[in-house]
Parts: sequence; structure tokens; C-alpha cells
Amino acid sequence: MATALPRRELLAGTAGLLALGVPQRVLAQAAARGQLTIAFPADVPTWDPNARTLAAVQSLYKCVFDQPLDQNPDTSPRPGVVTAWRWRDDGLSLELDLRDDVLFHDGSRLTAEDIRYTFFERPRQPVPPGGRRLDTSFLWRRLSDIEVPSPTRAVMRFSEPMPSAVAWLYFLASFVVPKAYVERVGTDAFAREPVGSGPYRLREYQQGARIVLEAHERYWGGRPAIPRVTFELVRDPTVRVAAIEGRRVELSVDTPIRETLRLASVQGLAARVDPTADIIILQITNRGGFADARVRLAAHHAIDKAAISRALYGGNAVPISVPAARGTPGYPADFEFPFSVERASALLREAGFGPQNPVNITFSTTNGFFPNDFDLSRAIVQMWRRVGINAELETIEATTYQERLRAQTLHEATIFQWGNAAGDPEMYGGYLLDPNSIFSAFKAPDLAEPVRALLAETNEERRLAGYRALHRTAVERGYSIPLLQGVRTVAHQQALAYEKYDTGHILPHRYSFRG
Amino acid sequence: MARLALVLLARRLALAVPILFAVSALVFVVLRLLPADPIAMSLPPGASEADMAQLRRDFGLDRSLPEQYAIWVGRMLAGEFGTSIHFRRGVAELVAHALPATLELIALGLLFGILAGVGGGLLLFALRGTPGEHALDVGTSLLLAIPEFLWAILLVLLFGVLLQAMPFMGRLDPALTLPPAVTGFLLLDALIAGDPAAFASALRHLLLPAAALAIGLAPLVMRVLRASLQEAIHEDYIAMARLRGLPEHRVLLVHALKNAALPTISLIGVQAGFMFGGTVLVEVIFAYPGLGNLMVDAVRNQDLPVIQAVALIYCVLVLCLNALVDVLYMLVNPRLRPA
Repeated sequence: MATALPRRELLAGTAGLLALGVPQRVLAQAAARGQLTIAFPADVPTWDPNARTLAAVQSLYKCVFDQPLDQNPDTSPRPGVVTAWRWRDDGLSLELDLRDDVLFHDGSRLTAEDIRYTFFERPRQPVPPGGRRLDTSFLWRRLSDIEVPSPTRAVMRFSEPMPSAVAWLYFLASFVVPKAYVERVGTDAFAREPVGSGPYRLREYQQGARIVLEAHERYWGGRPAIPRVTFELVRDPTVRVAAIEGRRVELSVDTPIRETLRLASVQGLAARVDPTADIIILQITNRGGFADARVRLAAHHAIDKAAISRALYGGNAVPISVPAARGTPGYPADFEFPFSVERASALLREAGFGPQNPVNITFSTTNGFFPNDFDLSRAIVQMWRRVGINAELETIEATTYQERLRAQTLHEATIFQWGNAAGDPEMYGGYLLDPNSIFSAFKAPDLAEPVRALLAETNEERRLAGYRALHRTAVERGYSIPLLQGVRTVAHQQALAYEKYDTGHILPHRYSFRG
Repeated sequence: MARLALVLLARRLALAVPILFAVSALVFVVLRLLPADPIAMSLPPGASEADMAQLRRDFGLDRSLPEQYAIWVGRMLAGEFGTSIHFRRGVAELVAHALPATLELIALGLLFGILAGVGGGLLLFALRGTPGEHALDVGTSLLLAIPEFLWAILLVLLFGVLLQAMPFMGRLDPALTLPPAVTGFLLLDALIAGDPAAFASALRHLLLPAAALAIGLAPLVMRVLRASLQEAIHEDYIAMARLRGLPEHRVLLVHALKNAALPTISLIGVQAGFMFGGTVLVEVIFAYPGLGNLMVDAVRNQDLPVIQAVALIYCVLVLCLNALVDVLYMLVNPRLRPA
């Protein structure tokens, strides 16, 4: 007697065979309207958003967690979970008004107690043996308390002025976590099964492979138009290009510049190279050939930033004259540092150098740390050679840069991309130019006092004006050679309505499918 | 026979212990000599020199090298791999996630390589002296001349972009849900969960990376097997088999192949070791979340505990594989068995 194949097994087997045999594009098309797949270059180190300040993965955290404040496309702050904020006259108390309709993914309400827990209690908790402090414990160390007069009101109290506190409410690692949930399940379990109040909840996480998100139905900003988002974590840029070209994904992030420009002409695809608030700079020192300020200024004058932008970034990397992004509050709109071979030659002549008698320096570059970094460095070497600066180009890893920066053994010039999605000037000059900061390469003693004063300046107008002046001074004295704003490249299917942010963030809850 | 195999395996593994210690010391020292600072890589804005010093103490990086090495080895022997500087999680947990994926990939790559190699070797032998043999020789030369990672890219471009016929990223289709992790081996987990769609998708996602790995193995196996068969076919026992009236295919498959297999097994053992190394680039290209990708992430972030652990695990895997091949070799060849 023949045994009948059970109906369920038959159906399951058929589904399996179909999945094996059917071309992927059929499956992709079937899924296209309900889900967005993104080829993304980086994975979160941990799902605890307060643990690390990695700029590359802030987009991922922003999907799952809320920051107290949101940002407009031009990086300026706008209300989010916090609807209003104001400094008290003492300059040490920051009042925050909160929405009363923000729900965490577990259905609990976000209140001022969660703000207190996230920014004050949690960073101060003892670290277990072998563990490591949260990065928020470094960032918010000047907080002395957070008062909670009501569930929708919090007052941050600082032991010393922290004028950039508002900016930090929408910057790295400042994500609100649910106090009750974290305390109930513990930090490890929270990192495994994170609960936030962001537009998406984490549905599935496969370390190093993919992140599947599902829309938070009761998100305070409205249910996202795209209900399911999958981040495919693809480290290789060539494969991210193949992914969009092969229609495996709807959006590919950080595609190589040339490929991005090519993809823009592929039917059905759109591709763009957008400037961000990050900046590409030469971290210079006053060692060796750069000991003379005239040589450093000549090196700056000799770089044709606009030509580099056209040649390497399709004209989309905005040249900058100071170490800040144009349009941000710390950028002096009335200042331009000119490209001038004549001035560069004259300064070098004055210093005793020229094409026949070049000054020798070592120029360190990364290769692949940010788009076209190596090509950019090679172009600069050529421009310098014309005026009499002989730069020996040395390729290093980003880790080597960090080590040398820490040990203060950087050579004359090192190319580096500095991230600052907040756009606040403290995160530009406040860190890069402060001789006491571990992030500054050029230790200019005459900048110590101005920076110290600005780090404590509570009058916002004076603070911003001060940073604009600081940035300008640093460039005029040859302490800094800023080059270009960073770029974010994306290629997406035309059916996807993509929205660009100067922060460079990828925010799928702001996207939708056309038609 | 099974008891003999176990004894042989145990002996081989015992011999591997000093090698492991030597490799661990080498990896440890080399990593410490690199001019890079893992703590500096992970500092948040606003951190001071004092914070840096504290972090260095937290991770034991302020101690002397011998002291650090002794602590690390001691912990490894106790089964503790330490905590990742970058991921802030236990290294054992990270490795436990990544290892099954790599093993799955290598297993399929080996399977493809062996099947294609043995099949191709037999075909080469069958076509000996014909234009077909020369054509196949050219083909194998081509396969060998191009490195694995380039084959991987070519496969992506051909089957992924041009034909749009095969997936080339990750382990599962985005529309499908990952089955519950029971073993970590996705194919097995999909079967356990009774999810044929996930099984089929996982298999499809493995095909191209496994093929890229197999391309490095198959042509070598083909050539060695062909050469061994050509040698074996002139042996007296083959002549005797033919005199006994056995059909040619039986002479080839039962008598010649068994003896010709010995050098092939040795070759597979050696090449499989290289295949582990090959997974690093192949995993990166196919966005495949195995040990290779974990290693790349760790190197980028100077995550010393992860680099050390993954390097040692690669070493253990290669040593285990070599031991297995040695045992297999002895089982197949009675002359090599100990008295």
C-alpha cells in the first residue's frame, strides 16, 4: 500500500525547492514593497548603545533607540523625545521637557527617570571584573545629578560648565535606555535583546552578517512607512556595489566614489555622493620639515582643494578653509584660505626652500580608511612637489595613526577623517586644536587658554563666535591644514525615496517606496 | 579498526600540543611588537590620558609581556578567552557564533573540491592521450592560475550581477527568518527547525563561497590523482585483475583508485589547511559571518584578545585536520600502521 505524503511536508518541500531553484530577483521583487534591504559596511560592536562611541554604527543604533534630541537634515537640533531645552542662568543646569507619549518596544513609557538612569545612574555603576566602563561615563562625567521633578521634566545639573551638553544629547552613544528593563534583565541580556524606543525593534541579529528590524507600531513619530528593514553587513565595497547592481538590495552604503558615479547612470538606480559634516584634514606637527610655520602655510596654500574634489569626489567634497564643515556654527563664513602656488612658493623661498632645494617631510596616509584617501594623498604630494616640498608618502593603518597620536610621534603630516555628526564646534576645534586633548596633533601652547575658555563658555553666542575665531587663527598660524568635508556615498533603487542627512546617517524610518 | 584510529588520533593530537604553545607565543609576541594601540582606537571623545591609563590597566596591557602571556595562556587553559576590546563581549561567545559558519563553509568547500577533483581526475585519466585531456589540462591550469579571492569576485559578478541567479551575501535570504540556533550550523538548524525554505536558502548562500574555495583544491586533486592512476595502472596487481577478467571500470575504481588515493589524501590534507586561510578573503567577499570576517574586524580594531584567540583556533583546526588526514592515511595504507 502506498503511503500518502503528508500535505504539510509536501508544501514545505515545495517551498524549499522553490527557494533553491527560483532566481533571487523573483524573491526580491516579492519582498520589495514590504521590506528594505540595505548593504551596510559596519556592524555594531554591542547592542548596548551607551557602551561605545563608534560613529560608523550610529545609524544602526538610531533605528532601535531614541536620542533625547533629533537633528534636521542640516545637522541642527530639533525636538525629539525632548520637546524643549533651556539653560538656567547659573549655566550649570539644563532643563529638558519630554514628550509624554514615547513608548519603549516592550510597551513601557519613557519618562524622565529613564533619562536620569541613562545619563547619570548607569555611567556611574561599578564595572564588573574584566568589564569596561560605558563610554557615556567619559562623556557625561561633568554631570553631578539629574533631577526628576516630573515624568516629563528632567534637570541636568553639572559640576562644571558643559556648553556642548545640548549637542551631546544628539551625538555619539547618547541613547535613552529603559531603566526598568535593563535593571530587570541585566546588562548582558539587554545587549542580547535590546529594547529601545526607536522607530524599529530588533527582530533578529546575526553577528557580522545581518540585522533584521521590524517597525515599532507605536513609535511616537508615527509608524515607519517601511515595515521591515534588513541590514546586510557587507564589509567589501566591491560587493556592496555588486549587491545593488545585482538588485540584491535596495540601498548600498559607502560605495566607492567612481563606482557610485557609474551607478548613477545605470537604469533603475540612483546614486549620490553627498558632503557630510565630517572633515578631512591633515593632522600636522611642528616637527622636522614642518618646524617652520612658513613651510606649513606654504603646504596649505599649495593644495588645490577644489581640483581634488572635482577629480576624486565628482566635485561633491566641499573644500574647507578651517577645521569645520561649512554651514556649521563654528565655520567663519567670511574667511577663505586661498589656493595660491605663488604664495606657497614665496613662503618657501622666504624659508630657504624651492623646487631645486626642496624641504623634505614624511606624509602618512591611510589606504581605504575613507573614500579615496590614498589617491587624495598622492595628489597632495604632487601639488607639494611643484612648489618645493618633497613628501615621502608612507601608508599606515588607522591603528598606527592612533598609536602615534597618543605617543606624539606623528610625522609632519598625516591624513585623517574626523567625524562630527553633531556639527558642534567643540567637537571640531575644541578637540582637534586643544593642546591638552589626546586628539590634537599640533600642540600649540598659545591655543591652550582660548580653548580652555571656550570649553567653559556658557554664553552660546560668545562660544560660537569664539570657535569661529579659534578655527581661523589656527589656520592662519599654520597649526591646521583642513582639506575637504567628508562624503557619504549611496546607491539605491529608484523606487526608494531616500532622504539625505548632512550627518551622514542612514535613517530608514525616513524613507519610503515610491508608487 | 576504530580503536586503532582513536589511538592514532590521540597520538597525533598529543604531538600538536607543543606546536600550539609555540604558535601562541609567536602570535602573542608579534601582536605586541606592532606599532598600534588598541586602547587608543576605542577611546571616546573627551577621554584623557588618565582614562587611557585606566583602560590599559582594565585590559592588563600595563603589565610586562611575559606576565601578560602567562595570564593569557593560563586563562586559555581554563577555557577563558578573555574579553574583546572592541566588542565588549566574551571572545568565546564571539568565536562560538562564527566558528560553525566557517566549518560549514569549509566542509562544503572540501566536499565540492574532493568531488570535482576526484571526478575530474578520473575523467582526465579516462581521456588520457586525447585532445580532451589537453583541453582539461588547460582548464585546470586556468583554475590554478587565478587566486581564490579573484575567483570569488568573478563568481559574484557572473552569478550575482550578470545572471542574478545566485545569492552572494550572508547566509540567508533577507525575507526569511533565521531558524533558532541549536547547533550554530545553519543547515542543521534549519533541518532541526523543519524549515526547508531556510535550508534551501542557506544552501544557496553557501554554493558560491564554497565553489570559490573548491576551485583552489579541485584542479590539484585532479592532476595528482591522474598521475597516481597512471602509475598504478602499470602495477602487477592491475595486470592480475585484468587477467582475472574483471571489467575495466572495476579495475580502475576498485583496484587502481584505492592505491592511487594515497597521495591524493595527503594532498587534500595539505590543501585543506590552506583552505582555512582562504576562508578569510572568501568570507569577506561573500559577507559571510565566519571566523575570517571576525578576524578581519579584529585586526582593523587591533582587538588583541580576538586576534589571538582566532589565530589559535585556526591553528587548532589545521592541526586537527592534519591529524585526521594522517590517521586516514594510515588506515588506508596498512604498511604505515604502527606495529
